Amino acid sequence: MRKLLALVHRELLAYFSSPLAYVVLTAFLFINGYVFYLIVAYLNDPRTQAMAPLKLIFGGTIFFWLFLLFVVPVITMRLLAEERRTGTLEVLLTSPVSEGQVVIAKFLASLVFYLFLWAPTLVYVAILASHAKIDYGPVASGYLGIALLGAMFLSVGLLTSALVRNQIIAAILAFAVLVVVFSLGLVENLVTGAVAKGILGYMNLWNTMDDFARGIVDTRHVVYPASLAGLFLFLATKALEASKGR
Amino acid sequence: MIEVEGLTKRFVDKDVVDDVSFFVPEGEVLGFLGPNGAGKTTTMRMITGFLTATSGRVRVAGLEVERNPLAVRARIGYLPENVALYPEMRVDEYLRYRAAVEGVPRTEVGERVEAVSERCMVGDVRRQLAGTLSKGYRQRVGLAGALIHRPPVLILDEPTVGLDPRQIVKIRELITELGRDHTVILSTHILPEVEQVCRRVLIIDDGKIVADGTPDQLRSGLTGTAELKVQLEAPEAEARAGLEALPAASNVRSDGNGRFHVTVESSADLRREVFNLAVRKGWVLLELAQTMPSLEDIFLRLTTRDAAEQEAQNEEVAHA
Repeated sequence: MRKLLALVHRELLAYFSSPLAYVVLTAFLFINGYVFYLIVAYLNDPRTQAMAPLKLIFGGTIFFWLFLLFVVPVITMRLLAEERRTGTLEVLLTSPVSEGQVVIAKFLASLVFYLFLWAPTLVYVAILASHAKIDYGPVASGYLGIALLGAMFLSVGLLTSALVRNQIIAAILAFAVLVVVFSLGLVENLVTGAVAKGILGYMNLWNTMDDFARGIVDTRHVVYPASLAGLFLFLATKALEASKGR
Repeated sequence: MIEVEGLTKRFVDKDVVDDVSFFVPEGEVLGFLGPNGAGKTTTMRMITGFLTATSGRVRVAGLEVERNPLAVRARIGYLPENVALYPEMRVDEYLRYRAAVEGVPRTEVGERVEAVSERCMVGDVRRQLAGTLSKGYRQRVGLAGALIHRPPVLILDEPTVGLDPRQIVKIRELITELGRDHTVILSTHILPEVEQVCRRVLIIDDGKIVADGTPDQLRSGLTGTAELKVQLEAPEAEARAGLEALPAASNVRSDGNGRFHVTVESSADLRREVFNLAVRKGWVLLELAQTMPSLEDIFLRLTTRDAAEQEAQNEEVAHA
């Protein structure tokens, strides 16, 4: 446990001492602030029907997904690829820590950083609360959805970072896989067969996030991203172990 | 302490390490010698568990690397060839991090960091970012990190490469000192280093062990030949015949002015025989010296012969 904490701590140190972190953070705040402004302006228009503004922020717009698809690979690309390129991986993997511990530590650190990116959005909640009555249940479940989907996306990025030694390639691979994972569920709207619709509906991340934002915590919506995250982390561990054979 | 048995590593279709076996008893400092690309790093990586062997076994302190990777790693302090540190960490932070990862008890961390910093002479850069360190300091910080958990076994891959002569001397002194209470495998292609630091030498070439012994044994017994230098005032042909008749002498060359170079095919000292020969024949002996071959000669003989053979083979293939 102490070893794991040391690994996570080192990884967070690496995040917050790289300029990339601050670029991502700034861009994220800028875009999210703009989206928040747009949504509030839109809802203030008397012709629009009444809606919960936070529901729109949490997955209700394409901005949310663009952010997840683009930024998550940038967060994770460095994790293992960089260690492999510089050679620090050799020291790390000859220390008495298992490959699984290394993967978990990297994953946790990236998750902490990811949640740190979202933390400033609590200000929006506070702003809205000062002007209107807010139902905090859906807000909490919305953040839960963000954390769960983020965990899944991050695990994909961690896997591609374990596979290659070039950060950029790791990011592009992660982006490609994430686009597939994300769009697979959207195919639900195109098929007609009941079975296919059912299966694809289970994988529809847009609807998943929509439900979370409404305050619905469906176990299916929890199990799907969580089990996918588990699978990708397992594969990342195996990829790390397999790299010792070459 | 370290047992290596039939260790083989195949990359694609080339055996980089080919059926290597050796044993390192506790407290020995083993010099692992070989030209670049001979398989030194690959062998060391298999001992540390960073690479898995294609076949063969490695045991450290009785524990098999394949079965107990974590227990073995905890007993090894490893300094890889290219010492890589995290550039964004300060030296002090890095050593504390290494201590935690290596499982040093929390209460001892401060004291250990002090101790290794002093031992590896990095005390004056402890507040510096690792990314800004010179090569010499990086090497020493890496070594300090490898020592932090007091491992009984040290594996050092070319620890003096890229250092300036003064730093080389310091690192060698440090390794000699560490050799007193550690089992050490040290790889290098610098021969004086081995002569100074190691009690035993293993020469590896093209993935195979070609010599194994103490530096003295290597010089004399196994593969050694000595060189005899003689200058005589004597009839050329007669002197040549006399020298060639000596036991163990071969390949007598002369420069025509009475200077002879004789290759001696063993460690036998022929100076007495040469002196007696000169006395018997009434020649004047102007110079007489027998030189032991340096490890360098042995190394070159062992490794270049194979290279020449290989070239010949390659040519055959090219012609075919």
